[in-house]
Amino acid sequence: MSGLTRRQFLAAGGGAVGAAASGAILAGHVWPLLNKEDLLPGTSTQLDLQPDAWTTTPDRLTFAAIGDNGSGGRQAMAVADRLTQTYRRSPFGLVALLGDISYYGNFADRYHDVFARPMRSLIEAGVGFELAIGNHDADLRHSNEGLEEIEAELRLLGTPGPYYTSTHGPADFFYLDSSVPGVFGPGSATQWEWLDDTLAASTSQWRIVALHHPLYSSGRHGSTIAARERLEPILARHRVDLVLAGHDHHYERTHPQNGITYVVSGGGCKTTAVGRSTFTAAAASILQFLVIDIEGDRLDCRCVRVDGRVADQFTLRARQKQ
Amino acid sequence: MRRATVDRIAPPVYGVIDLLVILAPAVTVKFASDRGGLGDTNGVDLLLASMVIGGLHATIASSRLHSEERIALRRADMWIAAADALVVLTLAASILPIVVLWGFADEHASMANGGYPVVALWTGITLVAVILAECTGRVVFWWLEPHPRTRRRTANRTR
Repeated sequence: MSGLTRRQFLAAGGGAVGAAASGAILAGHVWPLLNKEDLLPGTSTQLDLQPDAWTTTPDRLTFAAIGDNGSGGRQAMAVADRLTQTYRRSPFGLVALLGDISYYGNFADRYHDVFARPMRSLIEAGVGFELAIGNHDADLRHSNEGLEEIEAELRLLGTPGPYYTSTHGPADFFYLDSSVPGVFGPGSATQWEWLDDTLAASTSQWRIVALHHPLYSSGRHGSTIAARERLEPILARHRVDLVLAGHDHHYERTHPQNGITYVVSGGGCKTTAVGRSTFTAAAASILQFLVIDIEGDRLDCRCVRVDGRVADQFTLRARQKQ
Repeated sequence: MRRATVDRIAPPVYGVIDLLVILAPAVTVKFASDRGGLGDTNGVDLLLASMVIGGLHATIASSRLHSEERIALRRADMWIAAADALVVLTLAASILPIVVLWGFADEHASMANGGYPVVALWTGITLVAVILAECTGRVVFWWLEPHPRTRRRTANRTR
């Protein structure tokens, strides 16, 4: 150490170690978090809505779908605010939550921050919420605590169980639990058998499946191949019309796959990059949600950006049911 | 390069680096919200707050280096202290927001909904990072520089 005193050596060494550590920490953790997460707290919408303003008949339904909106942060509040404003122009009586409704803590603790505050106006207007469980909705998968957390979440939202069906106007909805125990764990076969039976018994004109993990995605997590292999034959056999998912934080719509259109709508509060695959019809890494109008055998879907512009829209015709 | 030239160029360059380090987290957050489509005005408040604090601290850091250039008995002390301050600033300005915002998400959400402006929180976090860095720079320089007693001891030993 010629030329350096002991103190200089310590201070310079400390600085060098600090610089190396900061390089590793910043590149590996801090910048990706600042870039991807929605950490800044946000304020909830102040709009008041006319209750029960929507029209649902056996032939007609308008509903919204939003995924991965559970930060309670600035971006989540902005998306919720846009959803609320959209209700004003085209009221809907149902919001399908596509999972991950609570980041940075469990849902019971964060209920007000991630759900009650951002959705206040819609809740007060009487809009119903139906949840497809996401992987962040229980941090401790496979454990009793994880299951308790899911149960608490479902209770708070008034959801009947981890997987269930509901009917609104001309559509039957099938909400699946695509979490690791739900898809592959012990007892997962029960869910697939239930889905097969329930789809077979469905008499509605439209069959819409909602689950958190996308069967087709060109985003960060990508397609959930193992779930696709188990699920797609069932969906194709029962001529499902539309499959909604979240998990990847972007919007993506596929060309029909075996007659089924798959949509990823995971831009509820944060975004990650999305590429394009052979199955991609439209894709964008944006904060967004879906508004879907069904009238008779026609379904019109709009992907609404947080700034109110429409990023993508498409029309489906109901498939002939067997 | 001649010493006089280095003395003239180093403080403003150091100030600019200091400003960029302070601005970086706010710029990242702004890019993230722009990418998501939130619009031009979102995130500008944080950027402005960081710009004001960064501008002020860049001036302070630059004049600190300039004054140390004049009083330093060993120029290496000045460079080491300046580098340490920059490392602390980089770490603190980036990690503190994550720790504070992620670690206390519930508390901040309640405060924000109670009307507490987020920009005040951001300003507070950035100020803490700046103070930590400034203290590091000054303390390390003071610690490294020979003081009268040390100088006497060194002189005795030499005799």
